[in-house]
Amino acid sequence: MASLPTGLVSHTRRVQSLYKKALRCLESWYDRREVYRYHAVLMRKRFDENKDIRDMRVAKDLIAQGEEEVFQKNHWHPRKFPESPGGVAYERVVIPPDWMVDHWHPLEKAQYPTYFAKREELKKKFVDEWTKKYGKPSPIAH
Amino acid sequence: MCFIYFVVMCFFSIVSFFMSLNFMILDYELMLEFEVMSINSCGILMTFLFDWISLLFMSFVLFISSMVILYSDEYMLGDMFLNRFIVLVCLFVLSMMLLIVSPNLISILLGWDGLGLVSYCLVVYYQNIKSYNAGMITALSNRVGDVALLMSIAWMVNYGGFNYIYYVDVSKMDYEMGLISWLVVLAAMTKSAQIPFSSWLPAAMAAPTPVSSLVHSSTLVTAGVYLLIRFNFALSDNLMWFLLFVGSLTMFMAGLGANYEFDLKKIIALSTLSQLGLMMSILALGEYKLAYFHLLTHALFKALLFMCAGCVIHNLNNCQDIRFMGGLVMQLPLTCTYFIVSNLSLCGLPFLAGFYSKDLILEVLSMNYLNLYIYLVFFLSTGLTVCYTFRLIYYVVVGDFNYLSINMVKDSSFIMLKGMMGLIFFVIMGGSMLVWLMFSTPYFICLPFMMKIMALIVSLLGGWVGYELSQFSLTSSLSSLNWLESSVFFSSMWNMPFIFTFGMNYYPLILGKKIYMMIDQGWSEHLGSQNIYFNMKNSSKFFQIMYNNNLKIFLLLTFLWVIFMFLYI
Repeated sequence: MASLPTGLVSHTRRVQSLYKKALRCLESWYDRREVYRYHAVLMRKRFDENKDIRDMRVAKDLIAQGEEEVFQKNHWHPRKFPESPGGVAYERVVIPPDWMVDHWHPLEKAQYPTYFAKREELKKKFVDEWTKKYGKPSPIAH
Repeated sequence: MCFIYFVVMCFFSIVSFFMSLNFMILDYELMLEFEVMSINSCGILMTFLFDWISLLFMSFVLFISSMVILYSDEYMLGDMFLNRFIVLVCLFVLSMMLLIVSPNLISILLGWDGLGLVSYCLVVYYQNIKSYNAGMITALSNRVGDVALLMSIAWMVNYGGFNYIYYVDVSKMDYEMGLISWLVVLAAMTKSAQIPFSSWLPAAMAAPTPVSSLVHSSTLVTAGVYLLIRFNFALSDNLMWFLLFVGSLTMFMAGLGANYEFDLKKIIALSTLSQLGLMMSILALGEYKLAYFHLLTHALFKALLFMCAGCVIHNLNNCQDIRFMGGLVMQLPLTCTYFIVSNLSLCGLPFLAGFYSKDLILEVLSMNYLNLYIYLVFFLSTGLTVCYTFRLIYYVVVGDFNYLSINMVKDSSFIMLKGMMGLIFFVIMGGSMLVWLMFSTPYFICLPFMMKIMALIVSLLGGWVGYELSQFSLTSSLSSLNWLESSVFFSSMWNMPFIFTFGMNYYPLILGKKIYMMIDQGWSEHLGSQNIYFNMKNSSKFFQIMYNNNLKIFLLLTFLWVIFMFLYI
C-alpha cells in the first residue's frame, strides 16, 4: 500500500515505483497475457532508453512526465485480486481479535463460567512462561 | 435448513401457480378483507387482492427464491452467519408477498419499506467498507421512493380511503388526484433504479451473489414495475411520456455502460437495469401486459444468469473481474452451458424465454406511431444488449484461462448446479408457456419486411460489434484507451454516481453552512436568544429600580406633571 511520505524518497525508488505502477496499469488495459507481455517489453524499453541520463534536472523532469502519464492513463476499473486492498472481497470476513473477549461485560462473562475460568488460567500460564523465558520486564521509565 | 425452506417455497409456488391458472381461466378476482381492529365504528382493515397477476408473480417469486435458497446452501457454505442470511431472504420474500397482494397503499408501504430494509441488510451482509458504502447508497436512494409513497398516502386522505384500486380509473380525470400517480411513479423509479436513481443498482452488487440473483435482478427491482402495472390506468399522458423518456434513456445508458464494465456482476446488474428500462418504456406505451410478461421472463433468465456468475465467482475464490477469467467452458462445462443459454435468452434468441417478450415488445413498438428517437433508442439498446452479452461470453467462456497458474476450478458444486437445473427448464420453455397462457388472442402484428427483421439485424450487428470490440491481437490499438475520456464517461453511467451523490450533497451542504452561519448562528442568535435575554435583563433591571419607590422618581414625575400642565394650559 501507499506509504506515508515520512522520509526522503530516492530517485531510484521513484523510478522503480513508477515502473511498477506502469506495469500494473498495462495489466489492467491489456488483459490477454501475451499482449500484456508485448506492451510490458515496450514499456521496459522506454525506461531503458533513459537509464543513463546523469543530469538530474532532466531525470526529474522525465519522472514527473512519467507519473503524469500513468495518472492520465489510469484504468477506470483497475485489475485487482479479490482479497487485495481495493479488491471486491477485501476484508469481507472480519474475524474479531482474541482480546475482544476480555472486554466482555462481567455479566456476559458469567454466562460462560468454565470457559472464562480456563481462559484466566491459560493467560496466567502464558505470562508465567513468558517471564520464565525472557525474565521480568524492566519497569518503564516515564 | 435450506432444504426445508426450498421445499416449502416450492410447494407454495406450485400452489399459487395453479391458482393463478384457475383465476385466469375463470376471470376471477378474490378480495379478502380482515378487520384488524375497530374503534368508535372506525375500522382498520387489512385487504388482500388475489387475481391472476398477483398469483402468477407470487409463484415466480417463490419459485426463484426456493431455487436461490437451495443454491445458497453451498454458495454460503462455511459462512459464519448462514442463519441470518436465510432469515433475511425469507423476510424479503414475505415483504414481497405483502407488496404483491396489497390493493392498499398503506400495506404496500409496509411491504415496500420491508423490501428497502431487508435489501439494505443484505447489501451490508459482508462487512467491509465497500459493502457499507453500497448499502448506504441503496438505502438512501430507496428512501426517496419511500417518502414519495408516504406523501401519496397523505394525499390520499383527501379521497377517504387508501385502497388505490378503487381510484385508479378516476384519478386520471382529476388534476389534484393525478399528484398521487406522479408520486407513485417517483417511488417506482427509485425502486426500479430509473435514471436519476440508477447508481444504487450496480453498487448493490456488493451483496452475496444469491442475493443479487433473487433481490437485485428478478424480484425487488421489478417491484417498481409491478406497482406501475397496478397503477397503469391512473397514469396520465404527460406522465406516460415522461416515463417513456426516462425508461428509454435508462435502457440505453445501462446498455452502453455494460460494454465498458469489467466486473462480472456489475455487467449483469447493468443488463438488469437495461431490461428494467425496457419494461418501463413499454409500460409507458400503455402495454402493461407486455411489461408484465417481460418482467416474468426476465426474472427467470436473469436469476439463472446470476446463479451461473455466482458459480464462476465461487470457483475462482471470490474473483469477479472478467479479465481474470477465460476458457471456463473447459473447467465448468455445465455452468457455462447454463450461462450461455441464459445469455442467449437475454439476447432474445428465437424460442428461448427472452425471445417471446422482447420480440413482441419491439414489434408492438414498431407498430406505434412514435418519433425516430424512441425507435432508434429501442433498437440501439437491443443491439447493445447482444453486444455486451457477446463480450461477456468472449471474456468468460472462451479464450485462455487468465487466473492463477495453480487453481482448482471444476464443476463439482452439485447443490448449486441443482438450483440452476431447476431454472434452466423455465429459461428455455418459460417464454412460450407464458405467451400461450397470457395472450389468449395473439397480437396482430403487421409490419413492412425491413421493420420486421430489424430486431434480427441489430442483434446480429450487436453480436458482431461485441466480438470485434473485445478481441484484440498483439498489434491492435486499444480503442477504449484511445478514447479514454468517453470510455470513462460511459463506464461510469454518464457520471451519474458522482452527480447524484457528490453533486446532490455539495451545494446543499454549502447552502446549509451559509444558513447555519447567517441565520442559526447569526441573525436568529442576535435577535433571538441572545438579544431577548439582554432586553429582558435590562427591562427587569429598570423595573427593579422602579420597585424601589425612590423619592427621585416621584420628584421627576411631579416635575413632568408640572411641565405637561403648563404645556396644556
